[in-house]
Amino acid sequence: MKIRAIALNTFKEATRNKIYYLLIFFGVFFVLSSKLVTLLTLGDKVKVLKDLGLASINFFSVLIAIFTGIDLVYKEIEKKTIYNILSKPVSRSCFIIGKFFGLALTLFVALISMVIIFFLFMLLFSGEFDVRILVYFILLYFELLIITSISLLFSSFSTPILSSVFTISLYLIGHVIWTFNEFKDKIVNPIIKTISYILYYILPNLEKFNIKNSIVVNSDLDSSMILGSICYAIFYISALLILTILIFNKREFK
Amino acid sequence: MKSKLFIFVVVSFILAGVFQYDYDSHINYFSEKNIFVTLPKGKTLEILSFGFKNFVADMIFIWSIQFYSNYSLMNRFEYVEDIYNIITDLNPEYKAPYYVGSWIMALELNDYKMAIRLLQKASKNLNNEWDFDFESGYYAFKYLKDYKLAEKYYRKAAGKPGAPSFVKRWQAHTVYMEDNLTYAFKMWLEIERGAKNKLEKNSALNHLYQIKFEIDKNNLEKKVELFNQRFKKRPYNLEALKRKGILYIIPKDFNGDDYIYDFKTGKIKAKKVFRWKKFS
Repeated sequence: MKIRAIALNTFKEATRNKIYYLLIFFGVFFVLSSKLVTLLTLGDKVKVLKDLGLASINFFSVLIAIFTGIDLVYKEIEKKTIYNILSKPVSRSCFIIGKFFGLALTLFVALISMVIIFFLFMLLFSGEFDVRILVYFILLYFELLIITSISLLFSSFSTPILSSVFTISLYLIGHVIWTFNEFKDKIVNPIIKTISYILYYILPNLEKFNIKNSIVVNSDLDSSMILGSICYAIFYISALLILTILIFNKREFK
Repeated sequence: MKSKLFIFVVVSFILAGVFQYDYDSHINYFSEKNIFVTLPKGKTLEILSFGFKNFVADMIFIWSIQFYSNYSLMNRFEYVEDIYNIITDLNPEYKAPYYVGSWIMALELNDYKMAIRLLQKASKNLNNEWDFDFESGYYAFKYLKDYKLAEKYYRKAAGKPGAPSFVKRWQAHTVYMEDNLTYAFKMWLEIERGAKNKLEKNSALNHLYQIKFEIDKNNLEKKVELFNQRFKKRPYNLEALKRKGILYIIPKDFNGDDYIYDFKTGKIKAKKVFRWKKFS
């Protein structure tokens, strides 16, 4: 009940933020403007339409996940409203979990509004409704939840600027970490090799949620891989939330 | 104060416009020039795209279309293979860059080998698509006149799912052009037997006629030459070859008609003439 109240409050607070609407607006704007870009291309225009639409939604929803996630916890501390919450019978873990679910709801609403416009747009211009794209959006949502939990972790002990730098860095690392598999055999030093392996498994692997290419070129989707990615996200988010709670519990508010 | 500021803004815009006009009058945007393009390798760009590799591939592809439409860039073809390799490394299943890239390479640059390299990359990455091999075969056939190579690509294309029947006919025609007449005859006979329409049937019958004629012509002209060596004169007609025991049966054309023998030259002709080899 307490978690629900904090989550709803977080959602309301996030939706009052102008940046939230601005990012949704730009997401929708770029989806719609992809039609103009197709005028410059040759060949499969629907493919370009899908590519640009999915990339726009991905990019702007990641920005929403990073900036709303960072802002909300820090704001509570900065404005000292956290004293009011924590002075009531609300545990710090409840606060963090509530914040997370509030942000998850905020992201869900942002994503779903962009997705609806994307589907209507695709239906209008290509006449097709590819249900498989929904699978991509589900995976994107889990990726966004991981990003949210990362930003929540950093914002629990750091300033917004540092938190955004850390979160963006981890997001970028998350999308290039797959390259480790291509050079891991070349690492000779056993200590470096061990450290590399530990980092590889600790750092988020976000590329597994990126099935844009399979969706766009209509190749087969591996259901076990999708399920595995969702399970990975659930465990990774749980670990990050527990870590955030541990750090947040140790924090002293003056 | 407000009206003064408004006038200032208007005057500033007008002056900016004047300077832009002056700048444009000194520059010819369409003058011939060289350009330097630098792009990282496809693999590097894939890493740097941070999960947006399809988007990056689309953007480079769209840029390349505008780039290769600009005829004032004199050295634009220096990068053509690199650019299309980058796009197709980023998004190997994206068909359009393979087509557009190979058209630019073949039809503008006239580098058919380069076009074939890109098409073969497409054939490898999109294993079930027949048209990349077919197009490779066409460039090898039409421009490189390398019938052996063309036949290899047509054979590859014909073996892929969904390949239309004309691919097999192109392959058979290429085998004929290669002068592998016995194999070509066998292939066309197979096509004739499996023909589903009049066009296929007629095409096969014409080829069978021509191939049989070429086989018989070679054989008959050799026998005429043998006759000439033995009797110091050419036979008056083909029956003479049979009478002198040089030939047991006088072959007829595919329609069952007699060949035309020219006593003066010793050459054999058929009633129908198909000049495929001459015009290829």
